[in-house]
Amino acid sequence: MTNKKVVIPIGPQHPALKEPGCFTLTLEGEKVTNAVVGVGYNHRGLEKSCESRSYIQCLYIIERVCGICSHSHSTNFLRAVEQIAGVEISRRANYIRVLMAELERLHSHLLWLGVAGHIIGFDTLLMYSWRDRELVLDQLATIGGNRVNYGINTIGGVRRDIDAQNIEDLKKMCTIVEEQAKYYAQIALTETTLAARLGGVGKLSHDDCIKYGAVGPTSRAAGVADDIRKTDPYCLYEEMPFDVITTEYADVFGRTVVRVLEIFESVKIIRYVLDNLPDGELVVKVPRKIPAGESVTRYEAPRGEDVHMVRANGTEYPERVRVRAPSEANWHGMAHMIEGDYLADAPLIIAAIDPCYSCTDRKIIVDNKDTETQSVLDWNQLRQYSIDWYKNRGIDTTKIQIPEKKLYF
Amino acid sequence: MSKEEQVIQQIVAKFPFLEGKLTNPYDRRIHAEPLYKEDFEKVLDWLATEGGFDTFHLVIGFDSGENLEFVYVLSNADKIILNVKQYAPKSNPVINSVVKYYKNCIWHERELIDLFGATVEGLPEGPHYPLPDGWPEGQYPMRKDWKVEYFDKNTMTYNPPAPEAKEETPEAPAEN
Amino acid sequence: MARNVLQKAIDWGRRKSPWLVHFNAGACNGCDIEIVDALTPRYDIERFGIIQRGTPRHGDVLACTGAVTLQTRDRLKMVYEQMPEPKFVLAIGTCACSGGIFADCYCVSGGIDSVIPVSAYIPGCAARPEAIIDAVVKLLTYLAQAQKAAD
Repeated sequence: MTNKKVVIPIGPQHPALKEPGCFTLTLEGEKVTNAVVGVGYNHRGLEKSCESRSYIQCLYIIERVCGICSHSHSTNFLRAVEQIAGVEISRRANYIRVLMAELERLHSHLLWLGVAGHIIGFDTLLMYSWRDRELVLDQLATIGGNRVNYGINTIGGVRRDIDAQNIEDLKKMCTIVEEQAKYYAQIALTETTLAARLGGVGKLSHDDCIKYGAVGPTSRAAGVADDIRKTDPYCLYEEMPFDVITTEYADVFGRTVVRVLEIFESVKIIRYVLDNLPDGELVVKVPRKIPAGESVTRYEAPRGEDVHMVRANGTEYPERVRVRAPSEANWHGMAHMIEGDYLADAPLIIAAIDPCYSCTDRKIIVDNKDTETQSVLDWNQLRQYSIDWYKNRGIDTTKIQIPEKKLYF
Repeated sequence: MSKEEQVIQQIVAKFPFLEGKLTNPYDRRIHAEPLYKEDFEKVLDWLATEGGFDTFHLVIGFDSGENLEFVYVLSNADKIILNVKQYAPKSNPVINSVVKYYKNCIWHERELIDLFGATVEGLPEGPHYPLPDGWPEGQYPMRKDWKVEYFDKNTMTYNPPAPEAKEETPEAPAEN
Repeated sequence: MARNVLQKAIDWGRRKSPWLVHFNAGACNGCDIEIVDALTPRYDIERFGIIQRGTPRHGDVLACTGAVTLQTRDRLKMVYEQMPEPKFVLAIGTCACSGGIFADCYCVSGGIDSVIPVSAYIPGCAARPEAIIDAVVKLLTYLAQAQKAAD
């Protein structure tokens, strides 16, 4: 049996260039027997920059840690700062923050659905879900001012208000997105080819999730009922009516189901916020110099638990800011998930955890120890390999027919 | 008595030297004052096993003057977060890895090595993280005395201004 | 200067159907999702004949996002060198144009033009799909004019 070592670097490269950040997989036949995860390509050094910027300047950096969950990072950071300063923001500001948070969750889950569909060759799902995502982005842009990095937050509250017209438009959007989500739920739960493709892939059991510290839909898919919005509530989530979605599947199929069902819960929360928006001021005054102290805040980002720590020293500049994005927590379980599965499953497992759509960059080097040759595989080639591998076993995701849907445009 | 106060009482009963060093500033948050290696390891061993703080979120490095400070963010079944802290002198910043208690500490501890210059004993083999290959040895960017302005990104070298230049200038006229 | 018919046909083929290679040099992914958005039904960049390709060896246009981090610097150069001539580089987003707010971070080398020559700068945080399509159309128009002038 040939023992092949497959090296997956992040970022296209020449085979001769030594790669500091990569997935190193050892194959036995077609199964992965050992996986070592290596990352770090996106390290910019922004935590150091934050130490020489005032808090409001830091906010603009923190928002751009990740473009997909920018509101999560900015809200979490500001909660830490407001907590140290001992300031309580108004109920209206909290409700608006929740509204943007749930809209972000909607757009992020629809994004993931499309990416997962693309990875397995089900491009129709990519086109449908991203088209629906545009409706959510329209609302985010109308309220926040930008489709991505919508800077709704400021220290002490929010910068913009929502009016009766916004509320009406949001309610219309909720109705359409909910109907579309029912459609996706129907596909996810009844389409056998999809279930065959996603089921049993990337298993991480309930106990392993806890052992490796997996967070978000990854651990909720294994039955770990941990949602920061319920266990460590913030921004008045304790008043919002919603359920924590868990499944017992513990694999990529379970994660898909969790994300689709969470869309319904987010719509529930948005409707509650719109019907019960309290009056109040938008911003509360916070001093420029934050007194000495420290705070650790947690937030349920679409990908899982986001932890921020801020230490203040009485000046205008923070002493230290530490951002732990949810995907940092999921890396530890990643190697364990890939081991024991087929190489053909690797792209989907990586995508199921992956926070960012940088999948287009990846390349695979196959290091054949026996013949001492190296061949370079493209991410697209690995994706095609995985689609063809499953086709040869009777699971053809490119041929999935989804029922005629009356378009609402 | 609130759950947080109960936890504080429990810890202080077990480790009397922590009397007065644990505070409960916000809901579900307990902060501890920093401890040196020996005391810290005794406390952590108990917290991770019998104390119920079996969930590890992250470890954060700080530059606190003469010492490097490491804050371990742990939580228990009641979702109370406890920040236990360890000091290690900058002259010899050696700490033990907590991987024997928590499987998910590895990447966070690797970061302490790269960014603060700590030595973490007991970590499994693996690539360094997160600095790029070619980063100069002995340069720890998150330390307070390391300034971005003196780092040349093209040659990847750190060139701080020579401190002697300021001392020589008053003497030079005397020599002439 | 007149060029033979075959060369004109090749040029027309290139101009009408540029193949896009997408490279993330260290971005927050805001601009990356806007590029992918440009491929989806609402904006549908494919109607201009623009197709996204994974390999640089078949690419005409390199769409780069993000402030270039020190890790991706060499990789970006490699990808650029692997692309056949004629090639064009789009710097999409403020971070790609100049480094943006991350320009003074210790692990950021700067904008895309600190590493490779850039043909078009598309500012924005994140750059909207309309801006991206506008830039590509302008690039195609410029190419058409340059070829007319060469004839």
